[in-house]
Amino acid sequence: MSASDASVVELHGIHKTYHLGSHVIPALQGIDLTVRRGELLALTGPSGSGKSTILNLCGLIDTPDRGEIVLGTQHVNGLNEEQRTLLRRDALGFVFQSFNLVPVMTVAENVDYPLFIAGVPAPERRERVAAQLRAVGLHEHAHHRPDALSGGQRQRVAIARALVKRPRLVIADEPTASLDSHTADQVLDLMRERGHAEGAAFVIATHDSRLTSRCDRVLALLDGRLQ
Amino acid sequence: MNWMWLKFAVQNTLRNRRRSLVTVSIAALGTAGILLGGGFALSTYQGLSEMAARSTGHLIVAQPAQFDRDEDTPLQHGLDNAAELREKLLADPEVRQVLPRVSFSGLISNGDKSTVMMATGIDPDSEFAVKGPFLSVTAGEVLSSGTTAAEVMLGEGLARSLKAQPGSSLTLLASTTDGALNALDVQVKGVFSTGVPDMDARFVYTDIATAQKLLNTQRVSSLGVFLARMEMTEGAQQRVAGANPTLKVQTWLDQAFFYKGVKDLYNRIFGAMGLIIGVIVVFVVTNAMSMAIIERTREIGTLRALGTLPNQLLRTLGLEGMVLGGVGALAGAAVAVGVTVFLLVVPFEMPPPPGQTKGYPLIITFDALMYLATMISMVSLTVLTSTWVARKTVNMPVVDALAHT
Repeated sequence: MSASDASVVELHGIHKTYHLGSHVIPALQGIDLTVRRGELLALTGPSGSGKSTILNLCGLIDTPDRGEIVLGTQHVNGLNEEQRTLLRRDALGFVFQSFNLVPVMTVAENVDYPLFIAGVPAPERRERVAAQLRAVGLHEHAHHRPDALSGGQRQRVAIARALVKRPRLVIADEPTASLDSHTADQVLDLMRERGHAEGAAFVIATHDSRLTSRCDRVLALLDGRLQ
Repeated sequence: MNWMWLKFAVQNTLRNRRRSLVTVSIAALGTAGILLGGGFALSTYQGLSEMAARSTGHLIVAQPAQFDRDEDTPLQHGLDNAAELREKLLADPEVRQVLPRVSFSGLISNGDKSTVMMATGIDPDSEFAVKGPFLSVTAGEVLSSGTTAAEVMLGEGLARSLKAQPGSSLTLLASTTDGALNALDVQVKGVFSTGVPDMDARFVYTDIATAQKLLNTQRVSSLGVFLARMEMTEGAQQRVAGANPTLKVQTWLDQAFFYKGVKDLYNRIFGAMGLIIGVIVVFVVTNAMSMAIIERTREIGTLRALGTLPNQLLRTLGLEGMVLGGVGALAGAAVAVGVTVFLLVVPFEMPPPPGQTKGYPLIITFDALMYLATMISMVSLTVLTSTWVARKTVNMPVVDALAHT
């Protein structure tokens, strides 16, 4: 296997059910999935098909009932919460539908945050944050608060925040759902460009057909199964 | 601690300024209330302890039986060698004065009417020199040493009862140390008020020679030892007791029953007040932080997803409590200092306490240790409360926190 084909995350025989009162809802039923380094993988499907559940499992913020998850070479099933948190901190990035920036922090502080909690020295953080903001075209907005930015700009900040620590995998849940079509195109281009530049894979849950047409691979989900 | 956490905490407290202002105000009022109440209690303790020590002396030296047993006859347990002992005590460099006392009771009569008196024989010049204006003279003059005439000062109520005034002649009647009844004519030199009507109705001061003549003795009841400073009391007690093993040495505190009663009462009152203030602060901070954390549950989920450990979030939320409590404590301390200084510049007279006829100035003591302890307590309380409120949310599953609306 070449370096470019190396898997970033593998899901083997994943089952996940949710319990709502007396109802048992099977969210995932035997998912096998491999995400390769640098690829843009789109997950599509109707609401309730299991897209977000796969994202949560790949992002180590949820655990499967059955099956195995391997992040790089790390088997994550046996990790405790603290170990999973540290793995998220070091290896994963997140882009949310509604941006989820911290409103009291400036743009630069939001982008800096993942490096700060990872204990990266301040001079290196400053350089990396500035480079990342330049890359997403928001260098001049470094000291603005998120509420002073447009939706597209906010999502670019979120992408910069996700990529600044050079993660292996970025989890993006409906990243263009809150944006107009033009801005959505720009954000998608940016994700492609920055993902390839940083060598990060993207797993994107989306309903947007324009977005899926520009991804490297598209997987459709229905009733918790890959089609 | 990294300053970024503190900066983040300060920024978070400014999100909802009105809510933070209410929390800070409650913490400030609580701190000011505790400091002002505590300062008032301290000034009261200080005033009462000085009054007690000035009344009895910092140390009281007497025969052990004088403290422990009742007398069958006047001065049965008195000191024989008072003059010699006085010289010995005065040799101690920390001793400022030694005053002999003759305490006795008997009757006082104007010829037509007799009434019970509680009398004390004193060395007038030394007593007034050491104690200053400890009596409020309402008529006539204070006693003086070296006069040949037998003179007395009467409490205001007693003088009124006997229709006596300066210059009036009265007769003192008391049992001598032999058990015989003796009488002595005296002249009223002055009338005084202690501020306590019950005492003014019975108290008589006379010079020590007159008292000894009436009781037919050379003994004194006790020696009051006055020191340069209150803090010297304990050390001086040990030295004097060690040098006079046959005698007993008590401190002013052993005889300050009023002081101990007031202190016990005030400690309970202000302790309860502090507790109530603490509970109010806990409720207010709990409410403010609960609302802040509920509003930020999704943000907390985001920060957890990004790799923030629960303890790191608890720390920053605790810092928010510290900022609120710290600003409140500082503001409260500033208010307390302001009120303390204001009362020094513009004196305020308190009404007379129950059983007394005179008011007293309202003074608030500034005690750096009390300020420090109160401020640290206030900050600790807000930090602990914030951390306790936040612990559930920062530990909730990240998926649930992100889904919070």
